Amino acid sequence: MSAAPITPVGPATTRVDVSGALRGVRPGLALAFAIVGFFVVSALLPALLAPYDPFDVNLRDALQAPTLAHPLGTDQSGRDVLSRVIYGARESLYIGLAATALSLTIALVLGVAAGLSGKFTDGVINRFIEVLFAFPVLLLALLFVTVFGAGTTTLIVAVGVGTAPGYARMIRGQVLAVKNSGYVEAAGALGHSYPRIVRRHILPNAMRPLVVLLTLGVGQAIVWASGLAFLGLGVAPPSPEWGAQLDAGRTYITQAWWLEVMPGLAIVWFALALTAIGRWIQQRLEGGQR
Amino acid sequence: MKSVALKILGALVVLWAAATFTFFVQAALPGDRATLLLNQDSGQIKKRTAAELAPINEEFGFDKPLVQQYADYLGGLATGDLGISYQKKAPVTEIIGEQILPTVWLTLAALVAAWVIALLLTLFTTRRSRVVKTLGSGFETLSAALPHYWLGVILLVVFAIQLSIFPVEGGTSLYGLILPALTLAIPLAGFLGQVTRDEFENVLDEPFITSARARGMGDFEVRWRHALRHAVLPAITLSGWALGALFSGAVIAEIVFARQGIGQILVTAANARDVPVVAGIVMVVAFVYVIANLLVDLAYRIVDPRIQT
Amino acid sequence: MRTPKTLLPLALLAAGLTLAACGGNDSASGGDPGAAFAGATPVKGGTISYGHEQEPPCLIGGWVQQAYIERQFADSLVSQVKEGEIVPWLATKWKVSDDQKTWTFTLKPGVKFTDGTPLNAAAVKTNFETWLNPKSLNPTVDAYIGEYYKSSKALNDTTFELTLTKPYAPLLSALSQGYFGILSPKQLAKGPQVNCEQPVGSGPFIVKKWNRGKNIEFVKNPNYNSAPANAKHQGPAYVDGITWKFLGDQTVRYGSLTSGESNVIYNVPTVNWKDAKQKFEVQQYITPGRPVTFSLNTVKGPFTDKLVRQAFGYAADRKAAVESAFNDVIPYNGNGALSQSTPDYDKGLADAYPYDPEKAAQLLDQAGWKENGDGVREKDGKKLTVNLVYPAGAVFSAEGATALQNIQEQLKQVGFDAKLTAATQSEVFSGKYSTPDSYDAITWYWTSPTAGVLYIVWRQNLKDRPNGNNSSFYNNPTLENTIEKANSTLDPAEQKALYAKAQKIIVDEAAAIGLYTQTTSLASEPKLRDVWIENSQGEPVFHDAFFAKEGGDS
Repeated sequence: MSAAPITPVGPATTRVDVSGALRGVRPGLALAFAIVGFFVVSALLPALLAPYDPFDVNLRDALQAPTLAHPLGTDQSGRDVLSRVIYGARESLYIGLAATALSLTIALVLGVAAGLSGKFTDGVINRFIEVLFAFPVLLLALLFVTVFGAGTTTLIVAVGVGTAPGYARMIRGQVLAVKNSGYVEAAGALGHSYPRIVRRHILPNAMRPLVVLLTLGVGQAIVWASGLAFLGLGVAPPSPEWGAQLDAGRTYITQAWWLEVMPGLAIVWFALALTAIGRWIQQRLEGGQR
Repeated sequence: MKSVALKILGALVVLWAAATFTFFVQAALPGDRATLLLNQDSGQIKKRTAAELAPINEEFGFDKPLVQQYADYLGGLATGDLGISYQKKAPVTEIIGEQILPTVWLTLAALVAAWVIALLLTLFTTRRSRVVKTLGSGFETLSAALPHYWLGVILLVVFAIQLSIFPVEGGTSLYGLILPALTLAIPLAGFLGQVTRDEFENVLDEPFITSARARGMGDFEVRWRHALRHAVLPAITLSGWALGALFSGAVIAEIVFARQGIGQILVTAANARDVPVVAGIVMVVAFVYVIANLLVDLAYRIVDPRIQT
Repeated sequence: MRTPKTLLPLALLAAGLTLAACGGNDSASGGDPGAAFAGATPVKGGTISYGHEQEPPCLIGGWVQQAYIERQFADSLVSQVKEGEIVPWLATKWKVSDDQKTWTFTLKPGVKFTDGTPLNAAAVKTNFETWLNPKSLNPTVDAYIGEYYKSSKALNDTTFELTLTKPYAPLLSALSQGYFGILSPKQLAKGPQVNCEQPVGSGPFIVKKWNRGKNIEFVKNPNYNSAPANAKHQGPAYVDGITWKFLGDQTVRYGSLTSGESNVIYNVPTVNWKDAKQKFEVQQYITPGRPVTFSLNTVKGPFTDKLVRQAFGYAADRKAAVESAFNDVIPYNGNGALSQSTPDYDKGLADAYPYDPEKAAQLLDQAGWKENGDGVREKDGKKLTVNLVYPAGAVFSAEGATALQNIQEQLKQVGFDAKLTAATQSEVFSGKYSTPDSYDAITWYWTSPTAGVLYIVWRQNLKDRPNGNNSSFYNNPTLENTIEKANSTLDPAEQKALYAKAQKIIVDEAAAIGLYTQTTSLASEPKLRDVWIENSQGEPVFHDAFFAKEGGDS
């Protein structure tokens, strides 16, 4: 393979490049905010956006391809897919937020405790995190579904616990970094008490990446939860939860592709939009720190 | 030597904790296991009498105190005995042994494919013209957001059923492995690609790259010989972690493609509350995970000679 | 009505590829895809690649999935043809004593199990004893004959005598099912673990290897000499074997047929039914026995009131809901007691509880459940909330769940607050939904070749004689007596009348409300001839099947 033309690269370009990337992101970012905004409104006030009742069965109109009257088509019971995607946002968002909140709570407790405590306790907590890591999210979720039965609460707990170790490790790293940084040492030298240092310096700084994790985590949690529904072990129909729609749509995919594609696109778009926003916040935070 | 021994000890502790956790979570299950067994065997739903349940309870030791069941379980684990499947009446070790190879092949194939895609993307699209760069990172972002189950169904329907390019049943052939492996590899490649890209960009700014270029080294060689080697470090660490995600994905891919493997067994067993099988698979996965991460530790040392212990 | 649907947008979405023409198996005419091969003479050889759906935990047992498999490697004493007629199989003839308690079966001589041991009267006796031994109980066998079985005896090598505690007319129908396949005593002696994976019978095929999660490899029994009288030929199977694959996902299953990876598949997806009829040989078998019904909880909650149960029946257009959900492929079954293909089924009850929302409203008013503002009826301050439980997953299918959702919406119109609970297989089987306080209605079925199944389902659930299969908790001594009398009557006309009376009680009392029938369907490629579905449980039979040569070049 021949060498590609050399791009002029110099040490000075770093900054410029970051802002250049940001500038490139902007139209995308606006779209991301629009998508997230749309789904948040859907979750809060679905009736405002949905053209039909998502549960309204109309057997004569079953499995209609997308038309002007039904922009995303109708499902096997003649229900409007667009309305169901809009109404499904509430359940999906709720699961995503709740699972992420649980996950971050566990991660915070473990991460902060490990980061602040002595070598021994840190080691023990670290091992515990390691144990949690050994359970892939889906496997843990299957275990929980087996034991406690399928349902929203099970999903939230399973996804929350399953995704916690990754965040716990990140938070621990952050706490350690802050703890060992110059200004904490300086605060100690100034005679500030340890609890005060923790409260005033370490925690606020360690919390900073949480916003990013929250946005990225919600998207991931929604993906996992709908995956379980896809295996028939999540939220059950007639709930319009996105994963439940995907599971039901799979039966009809060779005849009615829109049943599988449309709710899937909702998940992908939403996850993408959240990722874009999370990245943007991350860049801004890092920029602010420098 | 000491650090290796410590590492092995740590791994054992992780395995023991995983076993304990699995045992007690499953022991907490509501409903009656003996009833479940009888009803599943007959395809009936009904309440069973004590006389019907007694022989089953005795056979599987459900009537023993929990502590003893736990001790039996740990004792069995230590000798590689994962118990007898409630459903299949066969040793769990044997069942997993039969099923694990297809899953391992799928997981490894997916990991390799993900790395190849991610590296190609990084090598050829980082710091290129704006269009190429946007395409590269756009692909990464998009693919990282694709849910396995959705991607799998679409690949299956489009490439196997509609276009007939690939077999519909995954099977065990190499050809049949492609679609399931891509189902797992594409999202992972997006994820790995994002990480290596960030790192790659940073490395390209390092002084040693500038000096390499000053020595007249071509752009491709600079990227290939110098930059990449440093850029892949974080992604290697992530590969160990990715094993868990890959395994989760493998479960789904095996269901979508009706492929033999641990995923099929796991979902069936979870549905049937076949405790020994679910617990056994959890233990095997934990074991694989621990070993894999030890290997990643070693790999890291090989790639980055600065870390020497 | 329906617009043509293609996957074009999907293809574009995935890779920007153009859609290639799909399918290539079309025969010349749209009419009968198998016409080119009709009347072909049997050819030996080849292995049938069969795409099945669910995989059982063991190859033998009391689940219909096990009956399907047992049919391939084991023979039963008798076989049932349409209309309930019984024909010889391992038993060449049989007679029953005047008091109807002693049955004497004459066995076909010279039959051997595939491990070489002889299939004689002693072997049959061992089978009966094994099925009913608490340590190796076959619960389905137990449900049919447990209460009737007294003892069995080998009078000589070929004469087997079965003694019952009381007369049981449906005995032969029961024996025709795959659960009652006769297995080698030598192998049975090795215990349940061995027989779970390596059972040995005398059937047309031998279990060579079970690759769990994937397939069962069957090879032909070269010495087969015991086909039933309703088989198309005697002697060994034409094909060399069957690869019995487990393809749980229906898209994959149908795709494997269209791509030629399978020669024949089970349970053709209803969405592909029309397509399959044009390209393949399809056959559908409507399973007799208890159809898929709502069992209404008669001892707790709103359905203790018969009027409310009847209102529930009238409230929804069950026929339209079922036909739409199953794409007009699987028939609606209004009779809540028996499936339309069961011998002694009462046609007069086919339209029980037609859609009549006004009547439903009137019945609810009469029962004291009054409209209030929010659309949900109330009585004594309690809302008319009913919890409908159904087993999710393969047992009930996505289409079944759709039918329930369609019904749920219509129930709401009349003032029921109907909740749907999808129970996982493990929840259902662990007995979570087996008590009166766990549901208001539950959907279930029981495939059976005889109306005698009514005794299993509707026998009273008493303290000293519990019947967990009575999922309506409906105790009616008259009903039990009627069924019991029918079960012990040999006169066909009288028996039919008694079964009809029993069905009428169940339907009039609205203890169960009918939905649809269980079915077995097969789609096979045109060159694969003579695959058939037997009549007791809808088990696929491959013993007569062969691959016809193309265009007479043989």
